[in-house]
Amino acid sequence: MKTPATREAAAAALLERCSDARLAEPGVKNYLTVRLASPKDLLAAARLLKGELGFGYLEMITAVDWLGPMKLEGLVSSRNPNPFTDKLPGPPVPPAAGAGAPYRPVLDLLWSFGNLRDGVKVFLRLEVPRDHPEVPSLAGEFAAADWQEREVYDLLGVRFAGHPNLTKILTPDFINGHPLRKDYAHEKDSYDGD
Amino acid sequence: MGIILDKAPMIARPIPGGQVLLTTADYFIDLGRKYSVWPLTFGLACCAIEMMVAYAGRFDFDRLGVIPRPSPRQADLLLIAGTVTKKMAGPIQEIYHQMPEPRFVISMGSCANCGGPYFDSYSVVKGVDRIIPVDVYIPGCPPRPEALIYGVLELQKKITRMKLAKGGGATHQQEKGSRDLAGSNA
Amino acid sequence: METDRLIASEPGPELESDTMFINMGPQHPSTHGVLRLGLTLSGEVIKRAAPDVGYLHRGTEKLMETRSWSQCVVLTDRWDYCSAMTSNLAFSLAVEKLLGAEAPPRAQALRVIMCELNRIASHLIFLGTYGIDIGALTPFLYAFREREMILDLYERCCGARLTYNYIRPGGVAADVDEGWIAKCREFLEYLKPRLDEYDALLSFNPIFLARTRDIGLISAETAVHWGLSGPNLRGSGVAYDVRKAEPYCGYENYDFEVPVGRTGSCWDRYFCRVQEMRQSARIVAAALASLPPGELRTKAVPRVVKPAAGEAYAHVEASRGDLGILAVSDGGAAPFRVHVKAPCFINLAILQEILVGKKVADVVAVMGSIDIVLGEVDR
Repeated sequence: MKTPATREAAAAALLERCSDARLAEPGVKNYLTVRLASPKDLLAAARLLKGELGFGYLEMITAVDWLGPMKLEGLVSSRNPNPFTDKLPGPPVPPAAGAGAPYRPVLDLLWSFGNLRDGVKVFLRLEVPRDHPEVPSLAGEFAAADWQEREVYDLLGVRFAGHPNLTKILTPDFINGHPLRKDYAHEKDSYDGD
Repeated sequence: MGIILDKAPMIARPIPGGQVLLTTADYFIDLGRKYSVWPLTFGLACCAIEMMVAYAGRFDFDRLGVIPRPSPRQADLLLIAGTVTKKMAGPIQEIYHQMPEPRFVISMGSCANCGGPYFDSYSVVKGVDRIIPVDVYIPGCPPRPEALIYGVLELQKKITRMKLAKGGGATHQQEKGSRDLAGSNA
Repeated sequence: METDRLIASEPGPELESDTMFINMGPQHPSTHGVLRLGLTLSGEVIKRAAPDVGYLHRGTEKLMETRSWSQCVVLTDRWDYCSAMTSNLAFSLAVEKLLGAEAPPRAQALRVIMCELNRIASHLIFLGTYGIDIGALTPFLYAFREREMILDLYERCCGARLTYNYIRPGGVAADVDEGWIAKCREFLEYLKPRLDEYDALLSFNPIFLARTRDIGLISAETAVHWGLSGPNLRGSGVAYDVRKAEPYCGYENYDFEVPVGRTGSCWDRYFCRVQEMRQSARIVAAALASLPPGELRTKAVPRVVKPAAGEAYAHVEASRGDLGILAVSDGGAAPFRVHVKAPCFINLAILQEILVGKKVADVVAVMGSIDIVLGEVDR
């Protein structure tokens, strides 16, 4: 009988193996979140989790665009961006001093790995710059990554190097851009009449 | 059958009493059409579940002659039950054009009527009437099966007003009172 | 002669090249919505299956960034429209985690009752439609008869049949009265023999067995590899249930089993759901018996929800699997980002693998057994 895997042990192993990885503080509430330092570590971390630690269940891949509230040129406030603007958005607005959230021009990726036997999970985080978001694909290790990476690519524009078929999955072909990015402005198409 | 119906007014009008004959023919044809509205088995989203409920035992759509058909070639009625997305708009137009005349469209639920809760979404068509003409709109999110039945009853009323003399049995696009198709493209 | 050579020799690559592409959907009676499957066939055998999704992509995650936290609950109803309660619950739990609040005991118990009733309703839809897919029309009529009773209960409690908006951050929207509880008990009594009836009608029907047993096999490793969850994972013999692994809403207080399948065939996945209905009925009965009095909404969740900056992940065992919500707040009145870990989306991806090598007649049986709801696949 193996000793049950704990997220603390998993996090410790990850911190030891990956250089410059650290516990994200604050991470996802009530869960252990390990922040990787560079995309180079991702594959090693995933293999470690899957192979040695028994976290063979890739639950979720997602990303958050931390570009702060956007001012869409001459239009309504960012909280209610008019999706049918003809104008392109203006340059990103620097976050207001004292704003509660850490706005910065990055895409913060998040992976969640589960250990089904013991019912624990560990989150991995990785920041990539918005203008050049590229991380290695986990599709070779986990089949579950296939579609989820395509989804993140489609909606947030993160490129997963080595993905066998990194194409749009949800949005129609004629929609340009990545809708979940904060500076996404919907270009009027033929279905958006008056 | 369609050709015969098309030609019927031309043949009937010159003969004495032809108008009466036409009116009588209208009555019987409409009666037949009214009680055999066959919708396409086609659900898009949440409303499709309520549509299925309407076919099931409690609401029993069959008693109105509404029997689902799996192919657009055999269907008279296109029930747009759910959100029409931009990706789905093309296929819906294609299905609509595959259906034989006379064809009817019921737009079921807020999403199909005007976009509903997704009125400001980047990937939703704000109303199916932007891409195909609609006969009956049913409000609700989702409409209850009773509302759908009421919608079909309204459609039946509309069918009883159809005249052979006007467009060979099929309703003209303009008469349907919907937006024109010029603004859309497939 | 050319033909003689073809007959005499083993089928070589020149025969393989004679493939046919079949487009299934987005309008197809048994794709359960607007799924499109591109099937490449060689004769009757599927060489390649490519599910094409996105025909119901409504951009919910983006819309949520423009709605207030409590308005978002309305949108959650429309993901998995067959079991909207669990979607409500997942989102509410995420918001409560962000706020550090917890719903009062009565609300917790009501949440459990509603979610389990919804699981029964959702699995009844599966049972009915799967029967139709296989060619048995009658179970559909029976299953929807029972489902209507659950919907009547919902209607009496919260006024809606399909999209409830009942479970909200901080508690639930409406209380149940004694009459409701009596009706619910009556329904549970009524359901029990009906489930046995389904077993006689469908589960152990020889034709049904022949069409679903040994079809669409998913081994436990494959299931985990593809990240399946819910009855699809348990049908392969992996007893993972969020209600047991990370209990929420006091599921640890209820006694229930997690049914698992043996071989991971279509029938196993089907039967897991049938067994789950029995377990859900058991949970509802227990929760009704121990329904505590008290208030329905906690004061810790204000009317205008404005969580402090941070992120929270909450996941629940929805009818179709492990539904997770990642909610990120920047301190504003609207979510900064909401991500839905949609079980249907992840479950559907496995079709690419398990359909290959199957006969074209089995496509519907396999696809139906995965039990997808397109609203959740595409969001």
